[in-house]
Amino acid sequence: MSTKAIESLSEDTVRRIADERDEPEWLLEARLDALDALETAALPDVIQTPGRRWTDLEALDFEALVDPLNQSDATERTAGDDEVVVLPFTEAFDEYGDVIEANFGSVLDADHNYLTALSVALFTTGTFVYVPEGVDVEDVKVRAEMNSRSLFSQTLVVAEESSSVTILESITSGDGSGERVDGDRYFSNLVEVVAGENANVQFGSLQNLDDDTYTYSLKRGVTDTYAAIDWIESNFGSKLTRSDVETELNGDGSESQIVGTFFGTDDQHFDINARVWHQAEHTTADLVTRGVLDDVARSVYEGVQDVGEDAWNTSSYQRENTLMLSDDAEADASPKLIIHNHDTEASHSATVGQVDAEDLFYLESRTINPRTARNMLVEGFFVPVFEEIAVDEFRDDVEELVVERLQ
Amino acid sequence: MSSQDHLKETNTEERFEFKKEEKSAFKSEKGLTEETVRVISEDKDEPEWMLERRLRALKHFQKMPMPTDWPEAPDLSEVDIDEIIPYIRPDIDVRGGVDDWTELPEEIKDTFDKLGIPEAEKNALSGVGAQYESEIVYQNMQERWEEKGVIFCDMDKAVQEHEELVKEYFMTKAVPPSDNKFAALHGAIWSGGSFVYVPEDTTVDMPIQAYFRMNSEGMGQFEHTLIIAEEGSEVHYIEGCSAPKYSAFNLHSGGVEVFVGEDAHVQYSTVQNWSKNTYNLNTKRAIAEKGGRMEWISGSMGSKATMLYPSTILKGRGASDNHITIAMAGEGQDIDTGAKVYHNAPDTKSTVESKSIAKDGGRTNYRGLVHIADGAENSSTAVECDALMFDNKSTSDTMPYMEINESKVDVAHEATVGKIGDEDIFYLQSRGLDDDDAKQMIVSGFIEPITEELPIEYAVELNRLVELEMEGSLG
Repeated sequence: MSTKAIESLSEDTVRRIADERDEPEWLLEARLDALDALETAALPDVIQTPGRRWTDLEALDFEALVDPLNQSDATERTAGDDEVVVLPFTEAFDEYGDVIEANFGSVLDADHNYLTALSVALFTTGTFVYVPEGVDVEDVKVRAEMNSRSLFSQTLVVAEESSSVTILESITSGDGSGERVDGDRYFSNLVEVVAGENANVQFGSLQNLDDDTYTYSLKRGVTDTYAAIDWIESNFGSKLTRSDVETELNGDGSESQIVGTFFGTDDQHFDINARVWHQAEHTTADLVTRGVLDDVARSVYEGVQDVGEDAWNTSSYQRENTLMLSDDAEADASPKLIIHNHDTEASHSATVGQVDAEDLFYLESRTINPRTARNMLVEGFFVPVFEEIAVDEFRDDVEELVVERLQ
Repeated sequence: MSSQDHLKETNTEERFEFKKEEKSAFKSEKGLTEETVRVISEDKDEPEWMLERRLRALKHFQKMPMPTDWPEAPDLSEVDIDEIIPYIRPDIDVRGGVDDWTELPEEIKDTFDKLGIPEAEKNALSGVGAQYESEIVYQNMQERWEEKGVIFCDMDKAVQEHEELVKEYFMTKAVPPSDNKFAALHGAIWSGGSFVYVPEDTTVDMPIQAYFRMNSEGMGQFEHTLIIAEEGSEVHYIEGCSAPKYSAFNLHSGGVEVFVGEDAHVQYSTVQNWSKNTYNLNTKRAIAEKGGRMEWISGSMGSKATMLYPSTILKGRGASDNHITIAMAGEGQDIDTGAKVYHNAPDTKSTVESKSIAKDGGRTNYRGLVHIADGAENSSTAVECDALMFDNKSTSDTMPYMEINESKVDVAHEATVGKIGDEDIFYLQSRGLDDDDAKQMIVSGFIEPITEELPIEYAVELNRLVELEMEGSLG
């Protein structure tokens, strides 16, 4: 996709980023390979129907959005327990270089698409989480603030055999106390999760960037035998968000849950994708997404349940529900089943609708004013996904953002 | 013998698979050039405007890409238009079809006898058209409909005799040649098909049927069906298709346009049993005015690859649409079918019911689109897809797309995929059925909600086809 070539990008830019961080040679090579991949990689696939392209990534002006050498963020990382390693990527090489080298890029290929290649070539922030065998931690938190034109983040989670970890990540825009960057911005977030045998990873992500920001986020996990990866993907901010959350169920008996929420107001555009590949026996997946749209906001949803030829005894479920609060909003959805093994129980459903008139009437008849009644019903709409969020603090944060948007 | 018994007792395989020696009065060269198009138009003695439309469609065809960039699109690499014989006029005396079977050459009459068409005509139909290769050879309708002003004739004849209507509706409003590559191909070299006109407030109470048969190796059939149902009228049109199997591929690329007037009701039923070397790439579309109702009922059993997504544009307030689809894919088959509905007015409703069965390495896909336009208030749509799979060599995909631009709507999509329950089979076996019969019975039960919507002759035929597909294929 040479039309997207960014002039300010060169091998020199990439070398400077790597040098400043004193990175090992293999990572520099990986970055340079990613840079090369930009020549041929295409933008992420976007759904097209006759006469319509659901999300227009082609319209993004990467030349203006990408400022590789001035990336800036303020990120707070807490481990909550000293048995788990939670470090900025750049500080982890001395001690954990081997673990990183063995796992980096094992889940996501840099040349997956143009935006992943860009991200791998240019990332300057991100977190390495390492959970050794048998360790059980619940309180890993990564709170990041974006303070520059563009920011590329790369996270790697390695959970060893029979370990268990809950990671909560949030990203917001800086309050401008530092140097203020006006105009459009671009945030790119790649997350790789490697779940070892019988490991259990819960990864919650909360994106609430300001409305000048374009966000690209791709999170993918791979499970070993009996492992479980549960994702919670909450999107509230950004002008345009493209979010992909994916699990490859490669181990027998492994499981994944992908819970998604979004709430769009004004002219926000959310392109939300949840995908799971069943590639082993006795695997289970559950995809649950709920979103609300107000004003002229627009959502695009694609859910894919792909059951491989050897995925005997698969259970796979998917639900997506969108609630429209405004006549001018638009909701597009495409839940897909790709089934190659008959020993499967798979279902999906999707609905789009508005607040139920009877429910509203009932509440109003109880003297609740229409606005409050509507807000109560919207909060109620999110309850099925809140219930899937096991971490109280994270649930509270998401609920708070919902309430904030209903004001 | 009732028609039902007749269908039951006929050996279905023999009924579809026989071949007849190729005998034609006129056969075009292989391939597609402007010259081919001119020759076809001239052989039909068409008015100038039709030739111009054909040539315009040809230009679109030459420009447009193959639909290969779709996700998981069927493999069409073998479809080389230059290898196709686009036009074969059968050797008959009367153009536009005779109205007495006995006037047909023996081998053509025998073909349709074997397919059970004259028998069905006697018992259950208001009218019948039969196409052999590129042209209609038989066309008849009961007199009482003719008296009421109902028109049912060969499409080529309609161009001559109902020129104004055809000129207004033919590939101008519903299926423009620019819609897709195969619609463009169809527009360039279409031949045969039916023209149906039902005047205001007229209810045609028994179905009319057209049967399309390809007999020659390597031919393409491109019939065009145009149905105009005026305000308050009602008609049920049934289409059947088959061909014997040859080693070279055949191509069927039909075009269907249906105009459902205010409060009119049109049902369009298809049972497609093309041979497994046929590529079946059709464009079918209906436009429904205020209060109009369109029903598409499709059974896709045959063909090597099918790409078929009957569409309805709900243009007037309160218009409605029902889609009922059964697809069955066995070894080497890729049945990619579904539905498209555009809700462009308030109070419109649509329902889609799809059942598919994949076995022996076959692939079925439900590919569907529901679009609700801004302002189409109080519209509702419900899509339900169920798939049954027999083995892990087969593939069952479901790819619905929903585009909702209006908030006062009720939109629901559901899909399930599963295998035949071991317990169900065990139960039936314990009642003395063998494994094959038990599976057949479960499959019949699986598609029953759809077959019960069909006229009895077609339900029986569909069940026979399903049984035939199942026979001996179960381990």
